[in-house]
Amino acid sequence: MARVLGTRLLRLVATLFAVTFLSFLMTALLPGDPAVAVLGVEGVQNEELLLEVREELGLNDPIPVRYVNWLGRAVTGDLGESYINRGVPVAQTIQERIPVTAQLAVMAIIIALVLAIPLGVLGAYKESRWPDTASSAFAQIALSVPNFITGIFLIWLFSVTLRWLPASNWNRLGNGVVDNLKTSIMPATALAMTQMAIFSRLVRSDMIATLQENFVLAAKAKGLTDRFILLRHALRPSSLSLMTILGINFGALLGGTVVIETLFAIPGLGFRLINAISQRDIMVIQGITVFIAVVYVVINTVVDLLYAAVDPRIRRS
Amino acid sequence: MTERLDGRLARLLAALAAFALLVAACGGSSDDTDDAAPEDETEAAEAEEEAEDDDVAEAGEEAEGDVDTEIEESTGERVVGGEIAVGLEAELPGMRPWEDTCASSCYNIFVTIYDKLMESTETGEYEPWLLESITPNEDFTEWVGTLRSGVTFHNGVDLTAQSLVDMFAIQQTGSQSQSQIAASNLATVEATGDLEVTYGLSQPNSAFPAYLSRAQLGMVFEPGAAADGDAFNAAPVGTGPFVFESRDLDNETIVTKNADYWGTDSDGTQLPYLDKISFRPIPDEGTRLDATLSGTTQVAHTLRQNTIRDSRAERDGGAEITLFEFQGNNVGGGMFNVLVPPFDDIRVRKALVQLTPQDQVIEALGGTGISLPGTQWFSPDSPWYSEAAAAAWPQFDFEAGKALLEEYVNDPERSDGKAVGEKIEYELSCPPDPTLIAAMQVGFEVATSTELVDINLTNYDQQTHINYALGADNGFVGSHGAHCWRFSDDNDPSTSLNPAFAPPTAEIAAAAGIPDVVSPLNFANYFDGDIFQAAIGAIRTDNFDERYALYESISLKIAEDVPVWWSGHTATALITDDAVMGLVSWELPSGTLGQGMPNAEGRWHQVWLAG
Repeated sequence: MARVLGTRLLRLVATLFAVTFLSFLMTALLPGDPAVAVLGVEGVQNEELLLEVREELGLNDPIPVRYVNWLGRAVTGDLGESYINRGVPVAQTIQERIPVTAQLAVMAIIIALVLAIPLGVLGAYKESRWPDTASSAFAQIALSVPNFITGIFLIWLFSVTLRWLPASNWNRLGNGVVDNLKTSIMPATALAMTQMAIFSRLVRSDMIATLQENFVLAAKAKGLTDRFILLRHALRPSSLSLMTILGINFGALLGGTVVIETLFAIPGLGFRLINAISQRDIMVIQGITVFIAVVYVVINTVVDLLYAAVDPRIRRS
Repeated sequence: MTERLDGRLARLLAALAAFALLVAACGGSSDDTDDAAPEDETEAAEAEEEAEDDDVAEAGEEAEGDVDTEIEESTGERVVGGEIAVGLEAELPGMRPWEDTCASSCYNIFVTIYDKLMESTETGEYEPWLLESITPNEDFTEWVGTLRSGVTFHNGVDLTAQSLVDMFAIQQTGSQSQSQIAASNLATVEATGDLEVTYGLSQPNSAFPAYLSRAQLGMVFEPGAAADGDAFNAAPVGTGPFVFESRDLDNETIVTKNADYWGTDSDGTQLPYLDKISFRPIPDEGTRLDATLSGTTQVAHTLRQNTIRDSRAERDGGAEITLFEFQGNNVGGGMFNVLVPPFDDIRVRKALVQLTPQDQVIEALGGTGISLPGTQWFSPDSPWYSEAAAAAWPQFDFEAGKALLEEYVNDPERSDGKAVGEKIEYELSCPPDPTLIAAMQVGFEVATSTELVDINLTNYDQQTHINYALGADNGFVGSHGAHCWRFSDDNDPSTSLNPAFAPPTAEIAAAAGIPDVVSPLNFANYFDGDIFQAAIGAIRTDNFDERYALYESISLKIAEDVPVWWSGHTATALITDDAVMGLVSWELPSGTLGQGMPNAEGRWHQVWLAG
């Protein structure tokens, strides 16, 4: 186990190095001058001012030097300061944003699971009959409709038409759970729909396979009710694939909320990232990209390690 | 409401369709163009017929599509108290007027925290605001201002002339203020009395008060607090009608009533009326409007004509909203990089303008019935508008445009070095906005139907687009060809027009005998000695008629040399719940009506909620 752990950690470090370098390179090579973004078009009245700002931002150094300087600080937790929101450390920005995005991701996963498990189980139990067809169709629609379209529809229905929920922005948890839920439920639901579709298809197919196992037949022979067999005997072994995809999708959601956060004007990581890209705020782009990549890689490594811990065959291989 | 949902979905589909068109255009071979030519020529002929029907707008008249909300005194009972939420297009970069870029969204917040020294009136003139008076010397190189007495900053510090002197020391280090200091010719700020301040200018500038009405030099902040810029950014201190309470970046900035504010309304009631304002950045246009329709916010700010169209439809459909619309000088279009062939030849520039059906471009931009066609730096509402320049601006004329192109193409001395008869090639670039892409397509179709040009349509994000035009890496020449752009604003003409036509490079400046005057903001790289002299002349006199004549001569010269082209003027609006009052009726301390909500910048100190 120690060898597995060691190998995985080495891979993790190598991956992170590659991710940080590539993301630094890509952001540094983006066309558009951060100094112009800092000054604004009207602010570029002379070349000296532009050069001065570039010097101040360290943009006159070669890219490798900038990367090494950045990496040296990053390993100590210093991801630099925003070029645009001067004086605001990137680490602080991430620290303030991650609870928002993480909450959205967690809520989306929960909503997706709450809908997906009954749909998947129903589809498997009633395989090839109308409930299966209906749940499959629902999942197909949810998978096909982009989440921002779902978001627009939810705003139209629950904000503009029914006036039940605010159309935009974010009430932080500190302002009260109910107020927070009012601003988080629609974006989380919009994010959840695609996840729900994937999860329900996964549960359905795994459950169909499980229901053909001998232990299920034995349980039926014992006279246990279908409900008991489905929920107590078949669901757990049908959830292994779901658990894997949950981990991966949670990581993906942390970096994949950009559109929904922008649509609902939610101050999460994605919203900040998109603003930073449009403003050429390279330090923020780099910091958030690396953070998302690190979270994603770490989650995947943890899932791999858990697999190895659970399944001796993987460990031995 | 369903229409609104449909509208948003339709826009998404339109964006995809426009993208598909762009791909088709970029990937189209010359054969494709040839095949399409006869149809295009028919379209071009139809467009020409339509264009011939257009008349030149007369100065000051209400042209079609011009629906500016009238500025007028309010007759309603003013209510003290209450709070509103305002949805803004964008988050502001920072809270420091001297350091952070400030556009329309930003001004909405800044004017609540900071008072300006001067303010613009209904007629576009400048009157004192935090100053009580300001007087120039004879040659406009010295301006003596007297501050209002008894004004204190939000932290209790008194406002004195020395405050402005200390502010100037900070402004000289700020990236935003530095450029305005240079542009205004401001050299020194001295306290010549407790409340008397003297501005010394290195060159005459009769338009100096205009600079005191904008954020970079005109917004008054507490210099003691500003000594620590980062701390100030977190807790800005001004003398404005509202006090900064909190800022949750990308989510909400809250300001609350300044109980000690110096201003009163004409009835003597202390301002501001509202207790609290929450400003919320909502980047998605549809969501921002929905937020107001649903009561999440009471005001939606927009600079997009599509949103104005949707809002009008909602209002006409019964939604309880009011549109405060403003369409000023700011005008869309683009510039030709005149230092790059073939745009160094006036025939090509003029031909391409004549081959652009402006009304169809405006329609593609979604501006029909909303956006006024541009013919110059000024809109027909502006006191600077010139009917002569409007008449001189080349109108759509397919045959004349084609003839000019033929002349160039068949010229053995043609500037692009190509063989006689070979097609002209150039790049037309706009930011990747779906409506701009559709507008590009209009110009592309008509121009390529002459079979004399090959156009490479490109779209880069805003920052890249700006950088290509700025050309900081090649002596500010830029690497652009025909480049979409926006021009002008509602400040004094000198603030935007003078730098746009000053020498663009050191070589041109040296050749013109003015080696110290180089303007990176001359994106077209077009320089004309007469225009430059007229622009300088216009800030050496405060006589309106003289200044008007000088700016008219500039507009006429631009119409003759066409270094730029125009589409339509920018429509802006504040869309409010019906209960929000006072946006058009605010007054200056003198009792003069203010400028309303130029560029969707509200003045929130005299806004109230109807009971």
